[in-house]
Amino acid sequence: MNKNPMLPYLGNLVEVRDLAADIKLFRVELLNGGGEAFQTFQPGQFAFVSAFGLGEAPFGIANASGRGPAIDFAVARLGSVTTGLHELGKGDIVGVRGPLGNWFPMKKFKGKNLIVLGGGIGGAPLRPVIQHVLDHRFDYGHLTILWAARHPSLLVFTDEYDEWRAAPDTDLHLTVDTPDKKWDHNVGLITQLLEKVSPSPENIVTITCGPPIMIHFVTKLLQEKMGFAPKNNYVTLEARMHCGMGKCGRCNLGEKLICVDGPVFNMEEVGGLLETFL
Amino acid sequence: MSESNIDQKRWLISQSELEAWLDGIANARTLIAPRQVSGIMLYRSVEKSDEIAWYGQTSSSAQASFPVMSVKEIFFPPTERLFTIQKTGQEIRLEETFPDWETVVFGVRPCDARGVKLLDALFLDTNPIDSFYARRRRNTTLIGLACTEMRPTCFCTSVGGAPDNARDMDIMLYETDGGYIAEAVTEKGRFLIPGGEWKVTTITPQQTTFNKQFLVPEKREWPKHFNDAYWNKISERCLSCRACAYVCPTCRCFAIRDEMIRPGEFERIRCWDSCAGENYRRVAGGHQPRAEKSERLRNRFYCKFFYYSEQYGLGAASACTGCGRCIEVCPAGVDITEVLMDLEKPV
Repeated sequence: MNKNPMLPYLGNLVEVRDLAADIKLFRVELLNGGGEAFQTFQPGQFAFVSAFGLGEAPFGIANASGRGPAIDFAVARLGSVTTGLHELGKGDIVGVRGPLGNWFPMKKFKGKNLIVLGGGIGGAPLRPVIQHVLDHRFDYGHLTILWAARHPSLLVFTDEYDEWRAAPDTDLHLTVDTPDKKWDHNVGLITQLLEKVSPSPENIVTITCGPPIMIHFVTKLLQEKMGFAPKNNYVTLEARMHCGMGKCGRCNLGEKLICVDGPVFNMEEVGGLLETFL
Repeated sequence: MSESNIDQKRWLISQSELEAWLDGIANARTLIAPRQVSGIMLYRSVEKSDEIAWYGQTSSSAQASFPVMSVKEIFFPPTERLFTIQKTGQEIRLEETFPDWETVVFGVRPCDARGVKLLDALFLDTNPIDSFYARRRRNTTLIGLACTEMRPTCFCTSVGGAPDNARDMDIMLYETDGGYIAEAVTEKGRFLIPGGEWKVTTITPQQTTFNKQFLVPEKREWPKHFNDAYWNKISERCLSCRACAYVCPTCRCFAIRDEMIRPGEFERIRCWDSCAGENYRRVAGGHQPRAEKSERLRNRFYCKFFYYSEQYGLGAASACTGCGRCIEVCPAGVDITEVLMDLEKPV
């Protein structure tokens, strides 16, 4: 990290491409020492990306650190910073501050079956988990990916589904709330898909990211109907953080700060907090 | 330890000696002291000691001489530039400037010094260290002045403080017959005291009368009240105006954003914010986990008496210093002491 932890590294946009409707992938190569800071980031960590002049916002890092020198961010155009980012292209400079937060305990997951549940752009911080498992395929058991969106046009990383499907011992299940004419996968909520897949709660961990309401119903279903222990249900939570370092106070969930105590939690931890994330 | 070593911690000085000393300080460094600014008492820089609003002189009562804002703003200003951004075509250049001047604050209240100590836990004692706060803190000496009475809204004694508590100061002054007793509390404070010029004393300062104390719920009592309907009732009055946070010596929530200075030149700033604000917790896409005013007001009280000490390793300590400012500034009559006493009542 920089001497002044508020100062971002500069990063060169080496690639910008459409990922889904109003969602773009930004691939950044860091300059001025940033590459060193980001040599060891872990699946689940996040960073702030600056659109200079407009501000910065936190994003889950969307790739595993083993995959080349660049860092990926999936950005939905929702506010002023993200709109500013969407106007940038290859060769433009952004700021990157991080890596921040805790991460999925991938070492602890070794030998276990994994279910990854991503809703909409919530899939972005889960992509490093998928990539990490594929890159260390024999360290982990069966990998089930449940990928959901409101509409087919909002599904992220569609061009990587073939890679995921082709990996050994790996399944991909897709669902959307509202299909279009070409859609030939599941229709309905991710919870319905989860019931259909009906995984056994033995030797397994789940990793969920999506809108709070989705996290709520997915983890409720896993625990109340499917017999999963809360401590085996991992989630990554979001908040409108401003500093990401436990200072600005904006992301507290009861007595915890999502930026430094999270963003990764298991549901046993979340359940013990005073405040709910909903 | 010999008697003389202990003696060297206290001096008896007259009003004119004190003023001459402060004038000397103001010549060499930035001196900040309570001063009337457009009729409002604030901690502001003074060129000469006669600009200072002294108890009983420019102000007729303890109430009138109490600064509206705490010393928090000296270390953590309402708006702070983090760096500037120069944009030339595709090129970006970032430039930082840090506050690096020596400052002495005179007339610090014990509740405010406590507030600074509590902010240290977050900005200094928890990594990463805040570059701006750390510089200001390192370069600043706190000279306290014991309060001679407690105002109607003061309750420092109920939250572990006292109107004459010296623990968080560098130097403490106590009014006494014919002047002040000055006490060196830290090495930094001792360094500022003119050796040899002042008369060493062994007099123990007289304690300020504690006229008000009530029972504040202990930290472990807080979780059970989280879902009380009480929070709906008390928050009905709240306007979400955030004034309580701005005057609070320990509220430190901030926002970071970019502002344009002129085309092609921007600054990234951080500015005070508060969990009472309606959009404070809203995320992109619209999810608002603390949509209800009661949830937001509750968060402020829980931050003071439960969360903050959990997050920054302060044990059972509360993050409230009992200064009473939030009570005075609230336009809707939300009174923190009323809340604390209500929670203590049997249900």
